[in-house]
Amino acid sequence: MTVSTQTVSTIQFPYKRTLGPVMGRFFSELTARRIVGIRSGERVIVPPMEYDPETGNELARDFVEVGPAGTVRSWTWVAEPIASHPLDRPFAFVLIRLDGADTDLVHVLDAGAEDAVHTGMRVAPRWRDEPVGRIDDIVCFVPGERAETPEGEPGEAQEVTTMEYFSTITYTDVLSPTLVRYASNLRAGKLTGQRCPQCNRVFLGRGYCSVDAIRLGPELDEDLPDRGVVSNYTIVTPTPYPGQKETEPFARASVVLEGDEMVIAQQQILDLPVSEIRVGMRVRAEWMPEAERDAAEITSKGWGTVAGFIRGWRPTGEPDEPAEQYMNRVF
Amino acid sequence: MTTRQKAGETRETAVRQDSDIAIVATAQLPAVRRQELTETEMLLMVVDEALGKVDLKRSDIGFSCQGSCDYISGGTFSFVPNLDAMGAWPPIHESHVEMDGAWAMYEAWVRLRHGDIDIAVAMGSGKSSTGDPAAIYPLELDPYYLAPLGLDPVSLAALQARQLIESGKSTERELAEIAARSRRDAAGNPNQQVRTAEQDVDKLLAEGYLRNPLRRSDLPPISDGACAVVLVRGPRAAELTERPAWITGIDHRSEVHNPALRDLTDSASTRLAATRAGGVAGVEVAELMAPFTAQEVILRQSLGLADDVLINPSGGALTGNPLMATGLVRIADAAEAILADGRSRTLGHATSGPALQQNLVCVLEGDNR
Amino acid sequence: MTHERVAVVGIGQTKHKKRRDDLSIAGLVREAAQRALDDARMTWSDIDAVVIGKAPDIFEGVMKPELYLSDALGGAGKPVFRVHTAGSVGGSTAIVASHLISSRVHRRVLAVAWEKQSEGNAQFGLGGGKSGSIGAGGAFAPWIRAYIRKSGAPEHIGWQVAVKDRQNALRNEYAHLQLKDISIDKVRESPMMWDPLHFLESCPSSDGAGAIVLTDEAGGDAAAADGRAPAWVLGTSMRSEPSSFNGRDPIRPQAGVDCAWDVYRQAGITDPRRQIDVAELYVPFSWYEPMWLEGHDIAPVGEGWKMVDRGETAFDGDFPVNPSGGVLSSNPIGASGMLRFLEAALQVRGTAGEHQVDGAKVALAQAYGAAAQYFAMWAVGTDKP
Ligand SMILES: [Zn+2]
Repeated sequence: MTVSTQTVSTIQFPYKRTLGPVMGRFFSELTARRIVGIRSGERVIVPPMEYDPETGNELARDFVEVGPAGTVRSWTWVAEPIASHPLDRPFAFVLIRLDGADTDLVHVLDAGAEDAVHTGMRVAPRWRDEPVGRIDDIVCFVPGERAETPEGEPGEAQEVTTMEYFSTITYTDVLSPTLVRYASNLRAGKLTGQRCPQCNRVFLGRGYCSVDAIRLGPELDEDLPDRGVVSNYTIVTPTPYPGQKETEPFARASVVLEGDEMVIAQQQILDLPVSEIRVGMRVRAEWMPEAERDAAEITSKGWGTVAGFIRGWRPTGEPDEPAEQYMNRVF
Repeated sequence: MTTRQKAGETRETAVRQDSDIAIVATAQLPAVRRQELTETEMLLMVVDEALGKVDLKRSDIGFSCQGSCDYISGGTFSFVPNLDAMGAWPPIHESHVEMDGAWAMYEAWVRLRHGDIDIAVAMGSGKSSTGDPAAIYPLELDPYYLAPLGLDPVSLAALQARQLIESGKSTERELAEIAARSRRDAAGNPNQQVRTAEQDVDKLLAEGYLRNPLRRSDLPPISDGACAVVLVRGPRAAELTERPAWITGIDHRSEVHNPALRDLTDSASTRLAATRAGGVAGVEVAELMAPFTAQEVILRQSLGLADDVLINPSGGALTGNPLMATGLVRIADAAEAILADGRSRTLGHATSGPALQQNLVCVLEGDNR
Repeated sequence: MTHERVAVVGIGQTKHKKRRDDLSIAGLVREAAQRALDDARMTWSDIDAVVIGKAPDIFEGVMKPELYLSDALGGAGKPVFRVHTAGSVGGSTAIVASHLISSRVHRRVLAVAWEKQSEGNAQFGLGGGKSGSIGAGGAFAPWIRAYIRKSGAPEHIGWQVAVKDRQNALRNEYAHLQLKDISIDKVRESPMMWDPLHFLESCPSSDGAGAIVLTDEAGGDAAAADGRAPAWVLGTSMRSEPSSFNGRDPIRPQAGVDCAWDVYRQAGITDPRRQIDVAELYVPFSWYEPMWLEGHDIAPVGEGWKMVDRGETAFDGDFPVNPSGGVLSSNPIGASGMLRFLEAALQVRGTAGEHQVDGAKVALAQAYGAAAQYFAMWAVGTDKP
């Protein structure tokens, strides 16, 4: 039986940034369609910084309005934008020296075609219809001297103190040969690990001995029992966060497999109220139905998980093992 | 005559002090587009190989330091399993930097200077293949003004290259020549990833732009890989290998973060680091971490390297770019030029951050007997 | 080769809060760093090198943020270095900075550690961005249960530490939690978050930063001559062990024992209980106080909780632990280790203000991380070693 050798996951989060007084002022001004820089000695730095970037010295809050038009100082053409780019049609990344500024601004230019872009060209902002107080309140720059503005006059500057940054990254994780074998065995309903010839410990889903730092190949594979003892547990009261699906207290137990070889962490105990979980309780694995087994949770990071193959562990009803000898075994 | 003698160097072969520190062995995995081994397994292999070259065991190591990056590895605390590559039982003295392995080596060098331990290992590892660098790298930019614009590293390198060309400091042809030379050199280096690509300058120039003025040949590949170097202090180094690569100077410097606030055609921090590392006089081989062709020009000009200095004979970052290890690979290759090829004075360079923000220079020397 | 002696001559920290909504990330680290510079009577240009520490980048969604923060810390033209050793990072940042001086590479180094947890969500970050994160509390709760069971400690020990550290925090204007009406009853009745840990036995989530300025011996002497007593570094150590293998003792990790004795040896300490005057230990969950007392051989195995029970670790006890209020009162994760290290220095300089322990001449600071497997410790003293 084969398993896919790669898993895909997306990590995304809406970060909320607080801006502080200087960036807050810059973004506030953007809402009124004004661009400000800050005076640093002889220079006007745009966008403004809290400190002189050359020395770290705090800058007096001496803001200076610049632009809105400026001159392109460097550019490159993006023919095929990706999702993290600000425009979804071909555009140019540009360095712009805004009129009145002594530094360049990184932004994007909507110029239609590559041959319309050149160093030295004059550009001006295209303002967003409804400002949000972020760098992309300037949607982009456009060729020419005149800013493109929505209908009507801009309102008073709104006070901007925070900004949201939505981060999303997709990772494709390729499984190591050890993990591919491990996942294939799980699919067949078998827990397997490798026994280290040096220290005699068994390791699951790693392919090496964590103590001796030697690789453990397939010739060292060993089937492991799918029965064990609850060595320890916690009951977690979930806190909400983006992506969190748990709402009620849930238990996570560690199970030491029979023979005291290997511990599997963060397991669910089935058919038992969380308050009745005990250290020393004997359990056996409840495998997912074959058709539902899924290697999506197996990753090349960390240590052998059984998620996607073992739904949880069911008490066998046998007498408990003495707790103390197992309690240290959590990971 | 060696380059050094030509440069008028009169320095005699130094008498090595107890406090001197040398690279005695290096190992790297070939850079590949997709490595199926985990980072921990990659590190296990390069540490095994490097130690094996000088007949050392893990228990001989007094300090180790790893360099890696969560966002590139795609996990939180992704360096924690990598500790297992060192056999950290009984517990060991080690550290981790969220930087290229070259900076891990810097920390190991600092640690060895205390004199209470003799042997250290530095490592770098990364699997860029797991995510899209164009989507990840904007996250290392100013989170308020730059990251939201999604400025990817290739576009940024193109903004830099254009300024270099339009200022008259380079030409598209020179960039293509660098690409061609790197690919020729890589063909003979099994550790490099881009080994069979086009090497004819005119044909490269005939290719369209990927990001004007950069073509695909001006860009590095996406690579996975790992590297380890063994550092040894004092006379012990000479016992372990015939021709240690003595670190005669190492320094790193940062500069202003926002690329729009810097002269992108110069690398002042590289120049400063090189000066503090003892200067480039007499350097025969320079391994410069220039993942983009134009950056090689900037680094070479900033360092003031003479025309006869051999640049990136390994093929360089342009033909193999395992992020978080690439810089350490440059130093390892500069060291191998002494350890294996009998060179006298070489330079390894590493960079980090947008458009060469942060740079490390390591100058190495072999004893001439 | 003998090492250069290292002195802490400047100390700064932010007011730690749930959300420092008045500051950017740069503003946060600068608040701490500027205070450390002011304390050292230095300016940005006096600093040779900057070492920055923080916990996982996903907490704020900024990759390698030391790049963006370089300018904010006067880093242009200087070496800027980023350390990351999990929860121990604030401590290892201080140690890496001290090594730059003890190795005679630099003379004046600024070390800054920070976290702006409110930008993201730590539960999310620790769970790798997935649902059902057990968080740090869920990870450590089973070991705490094991400690309680094995040592036979009564359950009020955890409550007592929770109260003591919050009361200490009332003496510390920088501490995040200021729980004036904290009591054993309140802790006991607070929700069970990660059984057996109650909500009030757990650390908060904070925005904050800590910074120190370290110098060579001449710098320390100059500060002393100027009437500003430095804290002298007596010993530093870092130790790590694997997360998970059969035979590991995660309750009293060997790496923690080794790390402590490495520091004790350097500092000439043979009886830590008697020779150390005050300790700042990384206690994110109340039970870790007795666990580390045993884990660093300050108390015999099984006896740490008795020190707590007898009040010996209280502010007026004979072995005060966490007079700052500890991690239980302020937890900007990446900075939490640094706050332990800088509080130890404040104590032996005699500049801890309301939370000054009388006569503190030798102080121990500790930070730990990941699966209680990374340790960073230092001892600092009033007297030059
Ligand atoms: Zn073994």
